[in-house]
Amino acid sequence: MNVEFDTRGNVSVVVISGSVDGLTADDLMNRLQGYVAEGNLLLVANLAAVEYTSSAGLRALLATVKQTRRGGGDLRLACINGNVRKVLELSGFTTIMKLFDSVDAAVASYAVSVGS
Amino acid sequence: MNDGQPVATEFRARSMRELGGVLAFVDRTCAGVEADTVFAVRLAVEEAFTNIYKHGYAGGEGPVAVHVDVAPQQIIATLVDAAPAFDPADAPVPDLDSPWDQRRSGGLGCHLLRQMMDEVKYVRRERDNVLTVVKTRS
Repeated sequence: MNVEFDTRGNVSVVVISGSVDGLTADDLMNRLQGYVAEGNLLLVANLAAVEYTSSAGLRALLATVKQTRRGGGDLRLACINGNVRKVLELSGFTTIMKLFDSVDAAVASYAVSVGS
Repeated sequence: MNDGQPVATEFRARSMRELGGVLAFVDRTCAGVEADTVFAVRLAVEEAFTNIYKHGYAGGEGPVAVHVDVAPQQIIATLVDAAPAFDPADAPVPDLDSPWDQRRSGGLGCHLLRQMMDEVKYVRRERDNVLTVVKTRS
């Protein structure tokens, strides 16, 4: 798994790639939480290159959603492939998180409203 | 690739630290299998394996044998462990409906295992838990 941070105005795009599993999810969570703790509250996760996630990855996403929203921000998801989307749907995450077909649309959504 | 004959293989683990080895074993055994099927089998094996060490062995060590049989019509994965009896079907239903600030991630592993596989069978055999999960190939 690889994680890279990119800035688009006041929004941070987190590009995650590879396998988010029990081996890598703690690293993802630590990096996301550290990044949010630095004051980056408006996040878009680009999941286009995420090939796999287990419930370990969902825990990292949920923890980060809570952390950002409690600070007045959000974590929004973009470009989710079929199997990862299925895992998010089966886990009830698609009803609490905002999902977008493109990074541009996810970034633009912050211009409209912030929070849930 | 095989010529239609089921290929049976096994991975033996002693601790949670071997999750990487188990996932690599699944990937290797399922080489050439369609991606959606491998995704589901990998997820089921990871969730079951993690659950055995976290709950069955209570964070400690113990034997787990993982078998993966790749057949033309389906993939059958079996996990055998010596932890106290536990049937994933008895795991509590996770919280899928509450608002984000009350949402908890507990129980999602067993839930995903049950949802992603076509069959989940559990038997207690002497002192072992034997969990068999089946995914029909797409």
